[in-house]
Amino acid sequence: MSVVSHAPTLVSPRKRRPSRTQSLRTLAGRRLALTARTPRELVVPLLTPVLFALVIAPALKTALHTSAAYESYVAIGTVGLLVPLNTFFLGLGVIVDRESGAQRELLAAPVPRGLLVLGNLVVALAVTGLQIATLVGFAVARRIHFAVHGPHVLWFLAAVVLLTVAMYGAAETLAARIPRQEEYIARIPAIAIAPWFLAGSLFAITAMPVGLTWIARFLPLTHALALMRYGLNGDSSGLHAIWRMGHADDMAALSLLVLAGSALLLIRVAIRVFSRSATA
Amino acid sequence: MIEVDHLRKVYPDGVEAVRGVSFTVEPGEVFALLGPNGAGKSTTIGMLTTTVMPTSGSARLAGHDVATDPLAARSVSSVVFQEPVVDRPLTGRRNLELHASLWQTPRPRIAELATAFGLEDMLDRPVESYSGGQRRRLEIARALLSEPQVLFLDEPTVGLDSRIRHELLDVIAGLRNRGNLTLLLTTHYLDEAEQLCDRVAIMHRGEIVALDTPGALRASLGDEIVELRVDGDGESVLTRLREHGVADATAFAVGSTVTVPLVDRGAATTLAEIEVLELPVTGVSTRRPTLDDVYLRLTGGRLAEAA
Repeated sequence: MSVVSHAPTLVSPRKRRPSRTQSLRTLAGRRLALTARTPRELVVPLLTPVLFALVIAPALKTALHTSAAYESYVAIGTVGLLVPLNTFFLGLGVIVDRESGAQRELLAAPVPRGLLVLGNLVVALAVTGLQIATLVGFAVARRIHFAVHGPHVLWFLAAVVLLTVAMYGAAETLAARIPRQEEYIARIPAIAIAPWFLAGSLFAITAMPVGLTWIARFLPLTHALALMRYGLNGDSSGLHAIWRMGHADDMAALSLLVLAGSALLLIRVAIRVFSRSATA
Repeated sequence: MIEVDHLRKVYPDGVEAVRGVSFTVEPGEVFALLGPNGAGKSTTIGMLTTTVMPTSGSARLAGHDVATDPLAARSVSSVVFQEPVVDRPLTGRRNLELHASLWQTPRPRIAELATAFGLEDMLDRPVESYSGGQRRRLEIARALLSEPQVLFLDEPTVGLDSRIRHELLDVIAGLRNRGNLTLLLTTHYLDEAEQLCDRVAIMHRGEIVALDTPGALRASLGDEIVELRVDGDGESVLTRLREHGVADATAFAVGSTVTVPLVDRGAATTLAEIEVLELPVTGVSTRRPTLDDVYLRLTGGRLAEAA
């Protein structure tokens, strides 16, 4: 028996172009469906930050005889580890797409190629949000206290969103330029983890030698962590360490500007590099 | 429907994969780029599907320039790639739905095409559980979903077992008979080109060395050919045949095989003349010319050897 029964009927061809919004929704839906079938992308990035927030921070508090505030300091600091880890793990999906997935089919679709990057970014934002909610939920369950002051939480949310955009831009750029998964994974510690130790995640940046403190002031992650602590804990010490100014909201606005600029720049670079690498 | 004008591609490493090819494919025509790996077929399709940027020249699909209006060009075309290009963790249905959504195609087409390609029973299984043939059928069904004006098939039957290959050839032939779809396929299988195509362009080292209907290409070698297997170098035997007027410019030699097309003479006369020359012939046969002979004459190598 033939498995191909007959040639299908063809109707008169016509030109059609989907709207960009609809294409973006389709591409994000596809990426979400693929991510949901890859537990690695959801669970693995969460392990280390949760371990830091729930085990290492309380242990350090006891060992170093610090206050309870240090637990929440580190808990927020671990968000700065979670976001780069998550976005760089999601970047692996781009390489899988290229090597054995449907990337070429998407490149042949009548949609602007930048939308492929933006569709992935939408999912990166959703997954990051879910993971941070999980992390904060675990921290609260562990009786770690956050001093949230109403609208101040918006600083935290804005910092999370912009840091995710910036880090995903860096991840997509790296994925577009690195041919194989193994080489990509080998670069993650240097790009996604090393800056975390310099950005005021476990201690204030002023505790480091002056040269490193200055380097830290230029890292988007330093600004993100300072904003997150200001938003979720009312702690402006990170902002002071960067800007050395008097008014906390002014410093927060400046850090937000730095972060927004970094996010815009990195995602634009990602779109450009992807579009160029997609066309030989 | 497809207009290609002096299209050329030089990759950054300096390799000139396509060297200024020009051709036109009429609406409803089935057109093949025939040649071995490395001939420039896939690069040509890459430029037409806007995944490879031409170095120079131009190409238009349904009037849309692939370089200056790529979105419009992509909206009227679909492509089935040489390698599997699917989301393996997703179901066949989800793969089809994604294409339908990106190309703005009504969902009922999915059921119609699934039935047509014998996919309805496996549509809700992840594609990673499909066999190679099933995956290929899914990809062709997906490409047809958007009712393209131009369908590109890049080596559509590579890697398939013989039965599935012939079934897919039947399907492609069925599309050809509908008359409103322009098909451009690349292949290094001669039988595919002969069976399916209105016209064939033979590509060799980035250039089109012949372009015509399969029948006309074969006819360039006459109705019949004499093939001689000789002891030693075929070129010296060919030289002697030409010196004595037994072979003309269309004859050619590869290794120890000499092929003599019989354009204006009979086989019996030619064989008698060869016998008189007392050449070191170890075997003689006569047969009708094939596209392989045309390719051999034009390029000096058999398709199967080069592929």
